[in-house]
Amino acid sequence: MPRSVELEVCELTKRYSPQVSVGPISFEVYEGEFFSLLGPSGCGKTTTLRCIAGFEGLSQGSIKLHGERLDDKPPHRRDVGLVFQNYALFPHLTVFDNIAFGLRLRRLAKSAIADRVGRVLQLVDLAEMAARFPAQLSGGQQQRVAIARSLVLEPRILMFDEPLSNLDFKLRIQMREELRNLQRRLGKTSIYVTHDQTEALALSDRIAVLSHGRIEQIGTPGEIYERPATAFVAEFIGSSNMLRARIVGDVDSAKIVVTEAGLRLCCRAESNDMLDDGADVSVLLRPERVHIETPGGAAVPGQNRVAARIADVTYLGEDLHLSLDLVSGDLLRASLKNANSTRTWTPAQAVEIVIDAADIRLLRR
Amino acid sequence: MEGARTRPIWAFLTGPYAVFLLFLLLVPFANVAMYSIHPYSPTKVFLPELTLDNYRKIFDLYYVRLFGRTLRLGLITTAVCVVLGYPLAYFLARAMPRVQALCLFLLIMPLMVSAVIRVFGWIVILGRKGLVNQALVALGLEPVKLLYSETAVVIGLVNIFLPFMVLPIMASIERIPPSLEEAAQNLGANWYQMFRRTILPLSLPGLISGCLLVYSLSISAFVTPALMGNARERMAGQQIYDEVLVSFNWPVASSLALTLVLLTVGLMFCALFATRHASRRETAP
Amino acid sequence: MSARAPRLLLPFVVAAYIGLLAPLVVVVAVSFGPSAAFEFPPRGLTLHWFEAFFASKAFVTAFFRVSLLVGLLSAALATVLGTSAALGLVRFRFFGREAVETFFLAPLLVPEILLGAALYLFYARLAIQASIWTLLWGHLVICTPYVIRSVTAGLVGQDPRLEEAAMSLGATRVQAFFKVTLPLLRSSLLSGAIFAFIISFSDINLALFLSGPESTSLPVHIFSQIQWQGDPTIAAASSLQIVIIGMLILVVQRIFRLRFVV
Repeated sequence: MPRSVELEVCELTKRYSPQVSVGPISFEVYEGEFFSLLGPSGCGKTTTLRCIAGFEGLSQGSIKLHGERLDDKPPHRRDVGLVFQNYALFPHLTVFDNIAFGLRLRRLAKSAIADRVGRVLQLVDLAEMAARFPAQLSGGQQQRVAIARSLVLEPRILMFDEPLSNLDFKLRIQMREELRNLQRRLGKTSIYVTHDQTEALALSDRIAVLSHGRIEQIGTPGEIYERPATAFVAEFIGSSNMLRARIVGDVDSAKIVVTEAGLRLCCRAESNDMLDDGADVSVLLRPERVHIETPGGAAVPGQNRVAARIADVTYLGEDLHLSLDLVSGDLLRASLKNANSTRTWTPAQAVEIVIDAADIRLLRR
Repeated sequence: MEGARTRPIWAFLTGPYAVFLLFLLLVPFANVAMYSIHPYSPTKVFLPELTLDNYRKIFDLYYVRLFGRTLRLGLITTAVCVVLGYPLAYFLARAMPRVQALCLFLLIMPLMVSAVIRVFGWIVILGRKGLVNQALVALGLEPVKLLYSETAVVIGLVNIFLPFMVLPIMASIERIPPSLEEAAQNLGANWYQMFRRTILPLSLPGLISGCLLVYSLSISAFVTPALMGNARERMAGQQIYDEVLVSFNWPVASSLALTLVLLTVGLMFCALFATRHASRRETAP
Repeated sequence: MSARAPRLLLPFVVAAYIGLLAPLVVVVAVSFGPSAAFEFPPRGLTLHWFEAFFASKAFVTAFFRVSLLVGLLSAALATVLGTSAALGLVRFRFFGREAVETFFLAPLLVPEILLGAALYLFYARLAIQASIWTLLWGHLVICTPYVIRSVTAGLVGQDPRLEEAAMSLGATRVQAFFKVTLPLLRSSLLSGAIFAFIISFSDINLALFLSGPESTSLPVHIFSQIQWQGDPTIAAASSLQIVIIGMLILVVQRIFRLRFVV
């Protein structure tokens, strides 16, 4: 059953000066989905968020909420909730009054307000804190109040502006899980802005990766990670080896490429079909897909086997990061789990690298 | 930072000014206090007996009217300053840095220029042959007497003390992060609702501070009422000046001065307390 | 502006500033006008009143021999007194420090006219004649707090570990102060000194009580001229003061902030 579109952003453009602008940006957010805008600082994700909330005007383009034009309404008349980066709780009001703020503006009856605030306080597990002031709460609690304050108004969509960036690491993981559970429970359409790709991957149904004011790719976490559409996405999400190469032929629906250093690789990832012989490409290879074996293994069709020497080993407890000098002269990085305490890798050791053809992705250069 | 040492260096550093203030602030006011409890004499400066007459005189009708007028004009000046100053403070607090720098300069510069000069300017504007009347005559109307009245005094006082209302309020509003304004709007408040429920309560300390400041400055003003008011409807400052330099009734001048000092210093202390209290309360996330 | 403030705000602000600056603009304009009747706008441009200003012995004495001199002396002495006091307050902890700090800033709380009266009565009691010196001592009382505030702000903003770093490299405490702390305080010292000068130069309330026949300051002379219905020479004198003070404030704004005035 096709999902309905809750928010439609069409050719959104914001011009700050002749040199600095964001857009055109277009995307759709479906009902009930968790949609992230991911990118480094300055990429335009916060600008897009503020345009949807109404704090910035559009130079061009349009925004539609459930089919209705949104961008011609002033910020206080848009049915979107916004959780600010620094929470923006009113310091002179109690937790209860903070949450009731929007309800009081709509002139609801006192009993109705008490009822709704009480329920949402239960939802975020802060019922005992109702009479406290924001300054008396911890970071995580303040964030929950900020979420409750927007939720209680039952907006069509809920937006988050990097809400976890002010928390320390362990708390961030915990709040991340709470956030995801909350969203799944309520089924509220959510737009989440972050520069942290782990957060985006963990929380989202779909991600839009932005850079320099444009969208690089929109897709599910799996799509973005496994099939990055551009070099930027490949490097921003996770880490990646990138080699310059040229396509020299194809065999059995797999492409053969030769790197600048002369290494021949066989690549079978799906969307490589669009590329022709002779095309200049970037070879993308995730470090965790580079397998290491002791020399002397048997060659298997669909696998690339290359001799190499270990240049450096970085011990990270849970992981091992290896730098490898290939016999062709190329450099690769590999990432292994420290799963076996008996097997050790040492610098200058001669090894064989095994790469599955399906794990190699080609991008046009 | 140093704690106790063999040589209290802090004493050498703070000593000079402390001694200076002792002799040029505390002692003169102690002297004034002393004058205020001795009776007046036209031949000697004062007589050796002690008396509270100088303070009882304050309850004479003349002085009651004087203080009443002074306090009333101070109140009016403060009220006008609030109405004019608050929007100005909000504008300055939220202005872009370059605009803010220019507007701050234009606000503070008149403060530093002597009050006489600003009053002189007003006399040129409001005088019988001044700007306003020239304009009225040009329109075919009768010239109006604007100077030498209570209204003129209030105009002058507001003009001179307005920055003292604007600056504390501006500082207060600047401490309110703009994200609070945006959050309120996002929750459904239009600008006026946002202002009333968010900015106003959080800027209250600055407002109180400004009011106390302007009030205490107004009730102890001299130059403006002296040049723009008249001798019959005078303020306390004028009376004190008169008693000291014209009537040489130093005991009465002293009791008036001391009363005024206690009043204004008390108010200023409250203003100081309000601002200190505010900066401790507003530890917003 | 961050939030969409009401449309009326900007015109209101402009009107308020016009009201605030009108008297100054009028004074400057009148000083260049030919008419002795304080005409605005002036019908022509002339430097006649400025010539009259420099020709008037009373004005010139008041400006140079009294106001300027006392102003410069106030600035210098207030800076020394105030810097030393600020150092003692900020860098040392001793019993009653906060009380002393409040005491040092007390002159800011006392209405100037009352301080003037108190000082006048005090000098009279001690039979001290009014002179430049009596005026100077009076000005020091009201000027030094500004220096203290400025230098305190500068010191508090400084990392105290800078002096410690200098000492770890072999400097004595005194050397560390003169080579590290003091140079970094340059802008605070300068703006404090300039403020002290401005306060002294434009003071009227103290000067009214403390001026004598030989030591009439410029504002006091202007005051008496206004009372005796003088001519636009007053405007010329005022314009000069406005220009000087305006330029000094610009300097302060460049090197420091203007906030701590109140």
